Amino acid sequence: MSDEIKTTALGRIGGAAAKAAAYAMMLLFTAMTLYPIFWLIMNSFKSTREFQVSQLAFPKEPTLSNYVEAWKMGDFGLLFPNSLIYTIGATVGIVFVSLLAGFAFAKIASRATKPIYNGFVIGILITAQSLMIPLFLEVNLLGIYNTRFAVLLVYIGTGLPIGVYLATEYIKAIPSALIESARIDGASFWRIFAKIIVPMSMPVAVTLSILNISNIWNEFALINILVSRTELKSLPLGIYKFSGSLSTDYGKQFAALTIGMVPMLLFYIVFRKQITRGVAAGAVKG
Amino acid sequence: MKRMIAAILLIAVAAVGGFAQEKVTLTVMNYQQADQAGYPEDVKIWQDFQAANPDITLNIEVLFNDPYHQKLQAYAAAGTMPDVFYVWPGARSAVIHEKKLAKDLNQLLGAAYLKDFSASATNPANQLGGYMAMLPQSFTYTSVMYVNTKLLADNGFKPPKTYADLKKMVPKLKAKGIAVAMLPNKDAWPMQSCLFSTVVGRMAGDDFLDAILAGKAKFTDKPFVAALEVIQNLYKDGILSREDVQIGYGEAAGMFASGKAAIYIDGDWRAGAYITDKASGKALISPAAQDKDFALMPFPAIPGEKNRGVVSAVAGTGWAVSASLPAGSAKEKAATRLIQYLYSNDVQAIRFNTGAYVPTRKGVKADVEPLVAKVPVFYAENPATCYVIDGVLDPAVYNVINDGLIAIGLGTKTAAQVAAETQAAFESWKASK
Repeated sequence: MSDEIKTTALGRIGGAAAKAAAYAMMLLFTAMTLYPIFWLIMNSFKSTREFQVSQLAFPKEPTLSNYVEAWKMGDFGLLFPNSLIYTIGATVGIVFVSLLAGFAFAKIASRATKPIYNGFVIGILITAQSLMIPLFLEVNLLGIYNTRFAVLLVYIGTGLPIGVYLATEYIKAIPSALIESARIDGASFWRIFAKIIVPMSMPVAVTLSILNISNIWNEFALINILVSRTELKSLPLGIYKFSGSLSTDYGKQFAALTIGMVPMLLFYIVFRKQITRGVAAGAVKG
Repeated sequence: MKRMIAAILLIAVAAVGGFAQEKVTLTVMNYQQADQAGYPEDVKIWQDFQAANPDITLNIEVLFNDPYHQKLQAYAAAGTMPDVFYVWPGARSAVIHEKKLAKDLNQLLGAAYLKDFSASATNPANQLGGYMAMLPQSFTYTSVMYVNTKLLADNGFKPPKTYADLKKMVPKLKAKGIAVAMLPNKDAWPMQSCLFSTVVGRMAGDDFLDAILAGKAKFTDKPFVAALEVIQNLYKDGILSREDVQIGYGEAAGMFASGKAAIYIDGDWRAGAYITDKASGKALISPAAQDKDFALMPFPAIPGEKNRGVVSAVAGTGWAVSASLPAGSAKEKAATRLIQYLYSNDVQAIRFNTGAYVPTRKGVKADVEPLVAKVPVFYAENPATCYVIDGVLDPAVYNVINDGLIAIGLGTKTAAQVAAETQAAFESWKASK
């Protein structure tokens, strides 16, 4: 066998081994991600007693009663629509205002642009925990404590720093000549926004939606201090009623956790292509 | 005449209006976990109060764990405390005690009402602010040995009275794959709260911890190091398994019930995990077995212990009334009525029955399962108590102890090292104050 053939054969074997290692690694990571979800769903169909004696086996007597009870006890019938309202309402608000602000910051130059833009962007560094008490005082002062309006306002406000930053950076890459031509043709800024900026900014709008939908759906710390009435609370507050170190009813706890997780799983399954495209498009601006 | 009739009518209308019951709305913050034993009973307790008191409307906010405390902090910061709320007697609700955001229940409820509660519950010294900001519903013993007496007898052992008794069990039980004692410590707090506090009480005593807090003693002094060495020896002698450090708090009850350990060390509250679940009608340990095969005991005598038989205990949680309610107002009267209901014999009997705790209210009778019935007997047989470490030290210090106890369990640190780290954490916490 010539040296050349030997090298090629070795190269093929090496390539196959590398491929196998890569697949093994990916399989391992997939298992590490999926197994906890599978474990949770599987155990949500067991009674607490069955879970305590066998945590890894399939349910011997699968029961749906955990779901029925958890739905009732967690008031999920009330909380589920609220989560939808907050998630959709705030995401639409964040995307719309971010694109508007991004358009202004990127394409309508003024002396005030830089300080206002920096004022928005500095918000990225502020954590939700540090806002909790000041926000509670503010909503009380404004008389909007215990209202959906306050929740939406706060969610939109806290989503804007990253939203404005991403939208501005994205819109900066849209050729200014397009906007100037439209201005020369007599188009107003509103018309330019609606006809040029929004259609061309769809990738960043999708990225912002993806980021915010999962964040707001799972948000807990802020809504906990913004409302006290059950009919205004969201799903994470209901789910938290089931989690504690002294908990004794694991079946209901797992059912509650599954109820909270499934909408996000479905969201990912249905929109996975858009999510992957959106994240990639948003990550590399323009 | 007409004028007179009109005047009489006016007076009558005013009188009726005046005597009509004033409708009061109370805001309440309830601490409730939906998947804990006693949840349906708790829901009913509140429903019953609403039904029996139509003149009071309750706006109840239900939270649990850290979110409860975060919200309470927010209310405290805003100065808008709920009218009635759930509190801890110590550091967990520090802001309430330190800022005196709750009314003094000694004055609000009065001595005649409070005489029906145990002295430890009504002693203001057991609360952080030095006044009765709340009334503890229970006085919790945080260190109890749940002993499977049948398993021990089957292997030729009697319930242990000394450390040596425990040590003697190791070879035989270990050979059968049974742990002598189990204390799950993956969550870090159980060892400190459920055993180490008792060991410190025995080897060093409350005076020693007081002296440390006053700067007159150090964690590196002999008594504290000796207490850490007891824990070190428990693992070294095989009485506790090093694998316990990997066991989550929630997992251990089932393991003990299935005979994987002869002794389980936990707080008195854990008795509730073994009794019959009202929803499924099943129990981890059947009532008959609870009665004849299981016993509650204090940790056995430790060689060199200074305070014989003391067990760590702490005042439990309870209800408080906002200090902002005007004295003598309709709201204050409604809040008092609610508090008196929550501490009534009937409500406390329901709580006792679910195994949630043994009430501080005297003479509460309930049809409890044998294991829960053994808890007050345990209290009576072990009246000498000592501090629970996380009740007297700051989290900045006791978290270092918790982590140190895990390291001792894993065999990665010695008692002396953990003592030195605790002292360093204490000094840095003191400096930050």
